[in-house]
Amino acid sequence: MTTMHHEEIEILLVEDDPLDLEMTLRALQGDHVNNRIEVARDGEEALDFLLRRGPHSGRSPESQPKLVLLDLKLPKIDGLEVLREIRAMPETRTIPVVVLTSSAEQRDIVETYKLGVNSYIQKPVDSAQFRQTVKAAGFYWLVVNRPPLVQA
Amino acid sequence: MLKFRDYSIKKKLTLMNMVVSAATLLLACTAFGAYELITFRSDVVRSASIQAQIVGANSASALLFNDAKSAVNTLSALKAAPNVLSGGIYTLADEPFAVYQRDAQEHIPPLPPMPAGQREEHWFAGRQLKLIRSVVFQGKLIGTVYILCDLQEMYDRIVRYAGIVAAVLSVSLMAAFLLLTTFQRAATRPILQLAETARIVSREKNYSVRAPSTDSHDEVGLLIEAFNEMLVQIQKSDAALQTSQEELEQRVAQRTAELDATNKELEAFTYSVAHDLRAPLRHIQGFSNLLMESSGPQLEPGAQKHLQRIDEGTQQMGRLIDDLLSLARIGRQEPRLQATGLNSLVQEVLRDLKTETEGRDIQWQVGDLPFVDCDPGLMKQVFYNLLSNAAKYTRPRKPAVIDIGQVSVEGQVVNFVRDNGVGFNMKYAPKLFGVFQRLHRKEDFEGTGVGLATVQRIIHKHGGRIWAEAEIDKGATFFFSLAAQKNG
Amino acid sequence: MRHPAWRRLSRQIHLAAMTFGVALFGTYNLSAQAQKVTEYQVKAAYLANFGRFAEWPASVAVDKSESFNICVLGQDPFGADLDAAVAGETIGHTHVLAKRISRPQDAVDCRILFISSSEASQWKEILVALRTLSVLTVSDIPQFTRRGGIIQFLLDGNRVRFDINLAATERVGVKLSSELLKLAVTVSRSQ
Repeated sequence: MTTMHHEEIEILLVEDDPLDLEMTLRALQGDHVNNRIEVARDGEEALDFLLRRGPHSGRSPESQPKLVLLDLKLPKIDGLEVLREIRAMPETRTIPVVVLTSSAEQRDIVETYKLGVNSYIQKPVDSAQFRQTVKAAGFYWLVVNRPPLVQA
Repeated sequence: MLKFRDYSIKKKLTLMNMVVSAATLLLACTAFGAYELITFRSDVVRSASIQAQIVGANSASALLFNDAKSAVNTLSALKAAPNVLSGGIYTLADEPFAVYQRDAQEHIPPLPPMPAGQREEHWFAGRQLKLIRSVVFQGKLIGTVYILCDLQEMYDRIVRYAGIVAAVLSVSLMAAFLLLTTFQRAATRPILQLAETARIVSREKNYSVRAPSTDSHDEVGLLIEAFNEMLVQIQKSDAALQTSQEELEQRVAQRTAELDATNKELEAFTYSVAHDLRAPLRHIQGFSNLLMESSGPQLEPGAQKHLQRIDEGTQQMGRLIDDLLSLARIGRQEPRLQATGLNSLVQEVLRDLKTETEGRDIQWQVGDLPFVDCDPGLMKQVFYNLLSNAAKYTRPRKPAVIDIGQVSVEGQVVNFVRDNGVGFNMKYAPKLFGVFQRLHRKEDFEGTGVGLATVQRIIHKHGGRIWAEAEIDKGATFFFSLAAQKNG
Repeated sequence: MRHPAWRRLSRQIHLAAMTFGVALFGTYNLSAQAQKVTEYQVKAAYLANFGRFAEWPASVAVDKSESFNICVLGQDPFGADLDAAVAGETIGHTHVLAKRISRPQDAVDCRILFISSSEASQWKEILVALRTLSVLTVSDIPQFTRRGGIIQFLLDGNRVRFDINLAATERVGVKLSSELLKLAVTVSRSQ
């Protein structure tokens, strides 16, 4: 399926928990449904999308998302592995990745930074704070931050 | 000078034997000597008497027939007895009839009187023996023989005897000594070996050595057997001890490993529980808020209030999970001790509490606190909990006075946090540090009941003590000390 | 027979008695200074003593006899001295008696026979008569032992001594002790 320019995916959201997913989407979009968020429910789907494998093999190489919001606890392939693969491939190496996870373990933080994560955010327990944090993160990484242009 | 009892067995034996030998020999020699001495006298007397008798018998006819020449002849036979100084044959009238002199210068003594009826009489005078014997021929007294003996021989004999005794004694003792040193070896060698073995055993704690056994079945042999047997037993029990020690250590290691594993499990469990509880909590809160936002105005006040309660409940649960998580974290943490100034920790905590205590009238009185060896992170947590508690329970007070300092109790340094808050009933003091134990109503004072439990765990991890004193409505004081906190 | 030199002898004997004691048996209590001893007293004592140093043949053993007789043949020179000398004396357990005989044949029970010098001329006949008897013949007849007598008295200065004819003792079967023999001046073994 060809992707239209105005339907450019801005954010790849990798999240397996449905409720967390809903809350995150709401936070990012408010009440407006936005096409510009691609959802992956597990690590395999995420990699398939980013590396243009399987069902996403028809994706154009120039349109990479501006941001990957990555949960760590994922089925099939977990977040850390996904991050490693992303950073290994030249065409995805430079995509900003922000880990969004419930874990506050130092070992997770250290590992992700070692693998070159751009930011690490712990999901706040408080829902209001959750919304605020996700919104702010989205604003920062999509608006404030200047992503690199993808070199094909 | 060594005491006798400290001599070696060899020396002792030798000495004892020598003394015994010497004593025995001396005794024997003395006995013989005395016997010799005594009998010599009687021997001399007897021999002189015999000589006198022979002389007498042989000169009977000379006496009867008045033949002095013959008598002299007979007497001259006394020359054969070198110890006879002089001899004489006397008539019935005690007149010298014939005389004999060994040496010319010897004078002929007069005949000493002999009591009537006696055949013989003798006297010892100085170095001489005087003996007179009646000459009796065919039952009739016909004259007297007198012999003067020189006892010098006897004394010479005594001296000679003494010399011989001394010589014999020395030679015998020497021989005894030589024999002893050879033979005692046989007796003492096993003992010495045994002693040596015992020394080795006690010095090296080596129970595998054995005392060399002897073939003799005497007490020493028995001793050696028993000793070796004892060593075997010691070895066995030592080995058994070793084994059981190893077993114990193994078991301890096992248990420790088990304990570690359990701890790790617990840790992982606690962690994942707390962790996994957070997500649904977030969801409950999130969606109930969404509900509030989207449909809140349409709800009747009762329903709104329910939603509010849901929100409060989830918040409380969030706090509980956080506190539980931190308690669990502290449980498995070993404090990393370093010299820390408690005052600096207190200052940090006061800064952290600034937002919480915004707008309140609190008098913080911070005294001089000591430098202690502690884990700064954990101790900070202690102060945070105690100070936030103090702040909480002094909310009704204006001003709230919170005192932080140190005091000396029985020579030990004790830190304290005192407040003028609502205090608590000392009756419930034992429950103070229990997990989830609260002494106040939730609506009066919020809290999870984990704060003090955390503080106690941290203090105990530092090897210290914590206790509290309070009075209702007057306030509470929390005392704590850390291990090895001494005066000065 | 008393010589004129007898006085001298007597004195010398007296002297001897003072310096040498003569042992006499039993009752005789001689104190050297107190007593004078005569020649024949000495000879009488000798006679008795000869018996103590002689041994008679078994057939005429001394202890079988009633008495030990010392006889004097001929003129008795001893007198009471002889009796005094033998009084109370015993040889073995036999009493000593002094006897005087006139004929040699009477010497049958004599042990010791003193032949007085008065019989000097008849000595030959006496000897023959005594041939069968075990008698110890004593005399001071000169050449007595040469002529077959057994013991002959001699005078050596102031001492009474004697010669012994051992052959004669063998003839009569009397043994003389060597103790006696050693005292003799001469012991002849012939004749």
